[in-house]
Amino acid sequence: MNIFLYELKSLRKSMLLWTVSLLALAALYLSIFPSMAKDAEEFKQLLGSYPEAIRAMLGINLDYITSLLGFYSMIFTFIILCGAIQAMNLGVSILSKESRERTADFLLVKPVSRSFIVNAKLLAAIVTIVITNILFIGLSTLFVTLENTQNFDLKLFIMINLTMFFVQLIFIAIGMLVSVFFKKIKNVLPLSLGFVFGFYLIGTLLVTDHDNKMERMISPFKYFDITYIINNGSYETLYLLVSAVIVVAAIAISYVIYNRKDIHGVS
Amino acid sequence: MNVIEIKNLTKNYMKSRGVVDVNLNIEEGEVFGFIGPNGAGKSTTIRTLLGLIYPTSGTATIFGKNCIEHPEVRKELGYLPSEVFYYDNMRVMDLLKYSASFYKKDCTKRIHELAEVMDLDLKKKIDDLSFGNKKKVGIVQGLLHEPKLIILDEPTSGLDPLMQQKFFDLIAMENKKGATIFFSSHILSEVQKMCSRVAFIKEGKIIKTEKMSTLQENSYKRFMLEGKTGIDKDKFNINGVSNFVIKDNTASFIFKGNINTIMKSISDIELRNISIEEPDLEEIFMHYYAKEENSSLNPKEDNSSSNPKED
Repeated sequence: MNIFLYELKSLRKSMLLWTVSLLALAALYLSIFPSMAKDAEEFKQLLGSYPEAIRAMLGINLDYITSLLGFYSMIFTFIILCGAIQAMNLGVSILSKESRERTADFLLVKPVSRSFIVNAKLLAAIVTIVITNILFIGLSTLFVTLENTQNFDLKLFIMINLTMFFVQLIFIAIGMLVSVFFKKIKNVLPLSLGFVFGFYLIGTLLVTDHDNKMERMISPFKYFDITYIINNGSYETLYLLVSAVIVVAAIAISYVIYNRKDIHGVS
Repeated sequence: MNVIEIKNLTKNYMKSRGVVDVNLNIEEGEVFGFIGPNGAGKSTTIRTLLGLIYPTSGTATIFGKNCIEHPEVRKELGYLPSEVFYYDNMRVMDLLKYSASFYKKDCTKRIHELAEVMDLDLKKKIDDLSFGNKKKVGIVQGLLHEPKLIILDEPTSGLDPLMQQKFFDLIAMENKKGATIFFSSHILSEVQKMCSRVAFIKEGKIIKTEKMSTLQENSYKRFMLEGKTGIDKDKFNINGVSNFVIKDNTASFIFKGNINTIMKSISDIELRNISIEEPDLEEIFMHYYAKEENSSLNPKEDNSSSNPKED
């Protein structure tokens, strides 16, 4: 419990910063929507002149772009990208920071097992993400309700937002798994940016065929197709399952490796 | 009872040498010194003992239990690493409280006592502390739960002599209360001051484990001879002579063995002066760990050089 509380406290600042940034991003985009909705047809034409590939990369779907949820699904691509970076950062740093800040000699000789330490740290990371999402969903819903003139489906709006939480869970798990393979990670951000953008680009450039289920497996950004959510009011079970498997497997492997890892001294 | 038991401990690293077949037993209440040059394997041994690294083979236990399988035995362990690092944005008191929270007892009074002895400001941020002051935090942190086993890895680096003295007084007091002390160093004088037994480690292997008293008493003598004419070094080609240095008409060496043998050899020489002293541990120790090319010539290996190296 003491480790958990300590970690949560030390993550507080960055969590608030990320949440505020995510919200600012959402608010910025959403504030454009009313004026865009007015000139919907022109806007469609303008975007229609973009090459197909660019539209795919930017997450633009012409059929939905002028409805609030359609518009939101477009901007949400970027929000989810930021959320993924936050989560990957958390995942990579949560265990590796003891080596980076050279505090492993303090924490790892305490009378607790390494698994206990990982439990506490992982829990703190997940709670941080949960709080981020609660704040984000709560405040963005409020914003949309206040700003928007169009009717929209609140349940779908929340469902879309929740996909960020799922993607974040995946990236925490991947981040942790990546971090345990390194002896010492000097700089977290380049590593996590590399992984997140890597997956993002793979997702947008390679995975062009949305019906190809195998291809979509490659990038977690493709697991939650927002158009599908809008049309069906549900998530795709297959990808929920894949997400769960990735999260569980990555975390399990992280535990095993971290438990057998040599913690080297300062040198 | 053996508080520390290390059996056939071997640790191989991918590139560098770790330790090879280390055996150590340390009894309750001992102050045990672990001596060797930098990179000899002191920290590797200690880190394996603490459960921070995994042995390639062999075992290392404290209180009869392995730290990895039974992390709870570390409740009675206090550890001071050679370089201390803590969470920078914490205040000293918060860090010490965090540390104490792992031992499930109230250590507040003890923290204040120790901080007073070590002259440590509890309100400061860790980030603002000098290296020496961080070390003090480390000392308080290692002792606040009154551990029964205290492991110190090069403890005095960064402390000024006054603080070193206070630190050793603290450790001596803990020892008097029954704590076992295991402490590594490459500074021999501090080991000499404190330890009841000492192990020498060199290139990953324990060369010798000996009682401090035996080491100091046991017929180790430092000889300094000044002859009227040149001294024939062949005369000292005797078992037990080491660190032999000859310069003009003077010779010096350490002798371990029967005094009478050496006296007989010396008696043949026309002497101007002689002194026979107790060598300090450093000299005895050099005998074990100095590398061949750095040490003074041993007469047995001395072939013909007319200009032997000096220390």
